[in-house]
Amino acid sequence: MKVLVVDDFSTMRRIVKNLLRDLGFTNIQEADDGSTALPMLQGGDFDFVVTDWNMPGMQGIDLLKAIRADASLSHIPVLLITAEAKKEQIVMAAQAGVNGYIVKPFTAATLKTKLDKIFERLG
Amino acid sequence: MSNAMMGHVSLEQAKSLVEFLETNQQEKADALVAEIQNPTNSELFAEIGKLTRQLHDSLTNFQLDSRLNDLATADIPDAKERLNYVITSTEEAANKTMDAVESIFPVVDNIANQVKAVSPAWTKLMNNEIDLNEFKSLCKDINTLLVTTGKETIHIHSLMTDVLMAQDFQDLTGQVIRKVIDLVREVEDSLINMLTAFGISAEQTQVKSPPKVGDNLVEGPVVNKEDRDDIVEDQDDVDDLLSSLGF
Repeated sequence: MKVLVVDDFSTMRRIVKNLLRDLGFTNIQEADDGSTALPMLQGGDFDFVVTDWNMPGMQGIDLLKAIRADASLSHIPVLLITAEAKKEQIVMAAQAGVNGYIVKPFTAATLKTKLDKIFERLG
Repeated sequence: MSNAMMGHVSLEQAKSLVEFLETNQQEKADALVAEIQNPTNSELFAEIGKLTRQLHDSLTNFQLDSRLNDLATADIPDAKERLNYVITSTEEAANKTMDAVESIFPVVDNIANQVKAVSPAWTKLMNNEIDLNEFKSLCKDINTLLVTTGKETIHIHSLMTDVLMAQDFQDLTGQVIRKVIDLVREVEDSLINMLTAFGISAEQTQVKSPPKVGDNLVEGPVVNKEDRDDIVEDQDDVDDLLSSLGF
């Protein structure tokens, strides 16, 4: 399974990558914001996207919307891992078609639970 | 101007006027005539003069307040540098820690794999079910495991010391941030003083306004969660909210 991790902070990308690797995901690539991520997604056969929300350039929520609006990408599950914690924003993400929402700071166990849930739903 | 109440011109004024004219003080004489003609104007002029002087003094005082100048030209740029230092040193610490942890992972995995490899034969030994060949092979494997574990635990210990030492940023960044907080407080005081000087009550402006948000309500980490009711407290809140939306 090919995963794209999108975050403007390299340390957070590294943390997420390590956690994902521990959960058995070995094919992981990185992007530092939505506008870098989108062409990568369009060019490669990614199966899963983990993204931050607040990034310079294209934000995670806009990346999510762009993924859902692109017929060739719209099937890709998207997990948001973000410090954005307004109820209104969580509703916004849900309406935009997010598959999971994790608030920072988070734990490895939370990530595992959310991933299990996302892939269980996809079957 | 009590003399204006009594008539247009007082004897005193007339005497002064004559005196000015006789001593060739034309300007003063003209001014006196103007004053006699329109006493309120001169009152107004006097008031404007007073205000102008006050304004001038205030402006001069502002310029004299060199602290304000220092704040803008030296302290605030310095604070920016300090905060950048915090970003750099916390990033360095995070990377140092992750370097160490990432080198520990394979070492631990290697030991775990070797333990797993000897485990079936070891169980046989414990149950008295092992034959001589298996026993010889087990002894070799155990020997390798002991050598590896002995060597790698020293390695892990030294990497864990690296993790420990990478936390030394906290003391330094703590001091730096405390200094910046002091500066923010000083700037706050200066701004309040300025507002007061311009006759705007600082108390009025202390009404809590919601924080500024960017596109898509982006705000970054919220540090006063308990004071807000538009924010989720933790992951459980997020999950509850999402499930209430049918997630």
